[in-house]
Amino acid sequence: MTSGKDRATSGLVFNIQKYSVHDGPGIRTLVFLKGCPLACRWCSNPESQSFKVELAVNQGRCLGVDQCTRCFKACPAQAISIQEGKPAFNRTLCVGCARPCVDACPASGVIAYGESKTVDEVLRLVEQDGQFYARSGGGLTLSGGEPLAQPEFSLALLREAGRRRIDRAMETCGHAPWQLLAEASGLLNAIMFDIKSLNAKRHLEFTGRPPDVAVDNLQRLVKERPSLPVHVRTPVIPGFNDTEQDIEDICLFLAELPSITYELLPYHRLGTQKYHFLGREAPMGEATLASETFLRLEALARTRLGAKYTA
Amino acid sequence: MLNPECCNVLSSHEQMLQDKIAGKEDKRRVAHPRAFTILDSFDGKKPRIDVERAKYFTESMRETEGQALVLRWAKAMAHIAANITVYIDDHQLLCGRTGCQGRYGILYPELDGDFLGQAVETLPTRQASPAYITPEDARVVIEEIAPYWQGKTFHEALNKALPPDVHKLTYDDPEGLYSRFVVNETASFRSSIQWVHDYAKVLNRGFKDLKREAQDKLAALDPLSPADNVEKRPFLEAMCIVCDAIVLWSQRHAALARTTANHEKNPERKAELLAMAEICERVPEHPASTFHEAMQAQWLTQMFSRLEQKTGTIISNGRMDQYLYPFYKKDMEEGRITEERAEELLECMWVALAQFIDLYISPTGGAFNEGYAHWEAVTIGGQTPDGRDATNDLSYLFLKSKREFPLHYPDLAARIHAGAPERFLWEVAETIKDGTGFPKLINDEEVIPLYVSKGASFEEAYDYAVSGCSEARMPNRDTYTSGGAYINFAAALEMVLRNGRMLKYGDRQLGHETGDPRTFKTWDELWNAYAAQHQLFLKTAFYQQHVIISLRGKHFAWPMGSVLHDLCMKHCLDLHTPQIPEGINLGYFEYIGYGTVIDSLSAMKKLVFEDKKLSMDELLEAMDNNFEGREDVRQLLKSAPCYGNNNEYADSIAKDIDLLSLEYAKKYSAELGMHNDVRYVPFTSHVPFGKVVSAMPNGRKAWTPLSDGSSASHGADVNGPTSVLLSNYASKNLGYRERAARLLNIKFTPKCLAGEEGTRKLVSFIRTFCDLKLWHVQFNVINRDTLIAAQRDPEKYRSLIVRIAGYSAYFVDLSPDLQNDLIARAAHESC
Repeated sequence: MTSGKDRATSGLVFNIQKYSVHDGPGIRTLVFLKGCPLACRWCSNPESQSFKVELAVNQGRCLGVDQCTRCFKACPAQAISIQEGKPAFNRTLCVGCARPCVDACPASGVIAYGESKTVDEVLRLVEQDGQFYARSGGGLTLSGGEPLAQPEFSLALLREAGRRRIDRAMETCGHAPWQLLAEASGLLNAIMFDIKSLNAKRHLEFTGRPPDVAVDNLQRLVKERPSLPVHVRTPVIPGFNDTEQDIEDICLFLAELPSITYELLPYHRLGTQKYHFLGREAPMGEATLASETFLRLEALARTRLGAKYTA
Repeated sequence: MLNPECCNVLSSHEQMLQDKIAGKEDKRRVAHPRAFTILDSFDGKKPRIDVERAKYFTESMRETEGQALVLRWAKAMAHIAANITVYIDDHQLLCGRTGCQGRYGILYPELDGDFLGQAVETLPTRQASPAYITPEDARVVIEEIAPYWQGKTFHEALNKALPPDVHKLTYDDPEGLYSRFVVNETASFRSSIQWVHDYAKVLNRGFKDLKREAQDKLAALDPLSPADNVEKRPFLEAMCIVCDAIVLWSQRHAALARTTANHEKNPERKAELLAMAEICERVPEHPASTFHEAMQAQWLTQMFSRLEQKTGTIISNGRMDQYLYPFYKKDMEEGRITEERAEELLECMWVALAQFIDLYISPTGGAFNEGYAHWEAVTIGGQTPDGRDATNDLSYLFLKSKREFPLHYPDLAARIHAGAPERFLWEVAETIKDGTGFPKLINDEEVIPLYVSKGASFEEAYDYAVSGCSEARMPNRDTYTSGGAYINFAAALEMVLRNGRMLKYGDRQLGHETGDPRTFKTWDELWNAYAAQHQLFLKTAFYQQHVIISLRGKHFAWPMGSVLHDLCMKHCLDLHTPQIPEGINLGYFEYIGYGTVIDSLSAMKKLVFEDKKLSMDELLEAMDNNFEGREDVRQLLKSAPCYGNNNEYADSIAKDIDLLSLEYAKKYSAELGMHNDVRYVPFTSHVPFGKVVSAMPNGRKAWTPLSDGSSASHGADVNGPTSVLLSNYASKNLGYRERAARLLNIKFTPKCLAGEEGTRKLVSFIRTFCDLKLWHVQFNVINRDTLIAAQRDPEKYRSLIVRIAGYSAYFVDLSPDLQNDLIARAAHESC
């Protein structure tokens, strides 16, 4: 693939976040690709799941119709009406043109999640922090959604980033064809790989798919790319994998894999309001994770995996 | 209690406060008993005004009228040295204070004595930085001190000398007691801008040798030369007198130490007192021979310096890790001292520093320097005069002392350069993470080439010392000027929008009438109107400075500052002389409200002239109503590109604004005989300046604080700290040498910097700051909830220290306005 072709390849991006310091080595820029094969109930980025541009409304920012009526004047499909002094969005009438109402809102209360960007556009933004990467060993981290769910775009991003001497890392749920993961991993300096649970039934119930593909992919990745640093992560989710048994199982599986590192991440509810913006109910409801539970499971993982546990 | 969910990581300073609140023992107290015992004697207490300095100074000046000013000043110092009460504090190992025990401030009636009557009444109850005075002292001020200075103070002379068009932008009343807060002069509340002495000279030669130098020069004067006899002779005589004065002062301390020792029952303390007596008998008259002597000699020198004049931001300490190192090394090699003992001596200086308050008696001075602001900068790190890394064991000891004894004194400054060792940066980062705001960082890669271009040799530039808030000094090459203008450029923008007027000051025309903005058809018309007001403010500032410079030599002299300066001694000129041959006169004027003005211009350019989402009429009306009922307009304005996000649209406006100032300075500085350069350092002036500025087109509401220094407007920097640094870089005009310091505040939550990985990332962040050649950066590492809790419950959080503008202060000492300002500064927590 030529650089010219890669540069012009475009994909759907929903966020670019500078100064990320907890997702890979050094100071990094996270590029979030939209669309995911899973639909995890605890997902803290619900806007990452769909492959389409999505309209979202932060009612908290709305100034009310006595101050502003810009959005429903702007809507070409009459999908916006006034209810109880605030605009109501009828998502079935919405034609997905997104921009007019988003542009009209002065308070940034109407949001379009997802924007088509070329590789060149993305990397120009990423390269702005180049001096920080050079000093810290940081660079670009592809995240999602699932980056490999936009295969052409993510591979083009990684190839072109490589040409521009940007360090490359990727977060993946592992649910992608092996060939694709293999190709991507050849372009990466580091990978962060989610193993959510080995319990097939519950995995299916909570994410929409069984864990097999990810588990197989991880085994193969470690075997075939022995020099690639692989950091495995498990989000600890109440009612899903927050028991000793769940973590024990994962640790036993990981103990067999050479040269990986491992980390547990505690469930948090910071994504809840984004479900509301999207007009959805947060599937986890009010569930919370007790910090004692998390610390106990962390202690367990540390005992089982020793120095491999790096949180 | 803090909300554990949001603040799951506390800085060690926050942890210490929580432990204190919970009644847990502070381990640091056990390890540093002496310093904490002294600290407890004054911590959190309201300062007292001590009048002795002003009283003896006035007594002497009354007797010497008609003589050369430098001679009068030296005689006044001799009179003070002979009569002022001397103290030996319990537990202290260093002696020398310039006023009563506890926290105290002293008066300089020669500067602004016309405020004294008002000040003794208002200071005790002033909201920002109060101080109390005893009834007897108040009587002395009103009956003995103030009357003599009536009609003689620098402030009165300046007020009279300013022509009406300059006066109206400077002061709000005919007497000049209240600032207009538009083009604000600062020369009347400090005798000079910040300064650093060549302390090494004191330690290595002693005042006896400095006096000998003056005597030799006296002997060599041509007895028939009028210049030698009228100009040089009184100067040199003054040098001799001031050298004797400080020696007398130290001998009086020695005598007191001996008397105190005689009455002391505790044998350990008795021995300490006798040792102190011996030290003060020797230094600063003779060269120091031990670390303890060097510390004592330096301390007496800086304290005596405070008696002499009100140096802007308090006299700085210079490169302490450099000039003290030979003494430390020798003592260590010869087994005379341990690291712990050296640290204890440093802490004795820190607790002594902390008791002196830089008292501003004028309302403007008080508003500019809230929280008893102080910048007696101690410089560590950097490079040697031949350009090698200068870090040594003492550099690390200063950092260790800051971590273990977290007091907001001294104002610790680390010089950072491309070759700084990793260990140094690592320990600097660890100290920053503690959360008291220290050290602030100054960048050699910006300062040194700039100073060379301003006329310094490489050797001098490599050896600069941090001075005051964020400046740098070359103590034997720099000369100085009076405090420069602080300019409220948000007011300039308001005058564009109100045709030369400000809402606060009604119909009075203050600026140019640049026309009704509703008639502006293009962005260029708006920009040109801004440039015209900008230029008028600069003209006013330079005019002020010209008058100030011409008055200064008639009002101030600084004999000790002069005897320590190579060029003053060479040319027999007092350091206050406006032009000293071979000197480089480095001064500046201040751009206040940078982020506010950039974002406002950016919003109008984008929304009014380009996107046409808003008419000028609609905008002006919304601002007239302080956005009441027009939150939609305010939100729209806030959505425009803002400075601090590495956004070219906003940053290019920032760069153009900077250029306006640089071009003016380039053209007109020479007429003032100085480098009157562009600086972006607010102290706390962005708060009082904000109080006169109505609503702004960036959505800022009327009378609220302006943006500070070269930092982004409150909450406008949404792209994280890397973008903040890059915007700062992008907005600089690197081709101009007329630039000076830019103050940059970055606030992190402790979580962002947690653990070893957090330190590593902070180190690389600092390295990149160095690569980008930014002048200054400082960090507040604190959880917002801690500030809110402290505001609610000040008693419990009495010892909470926060970084403000080149200095740190107790949070509870600040006015509610400034506290809210700190809470509003965006914290970077994307982790």
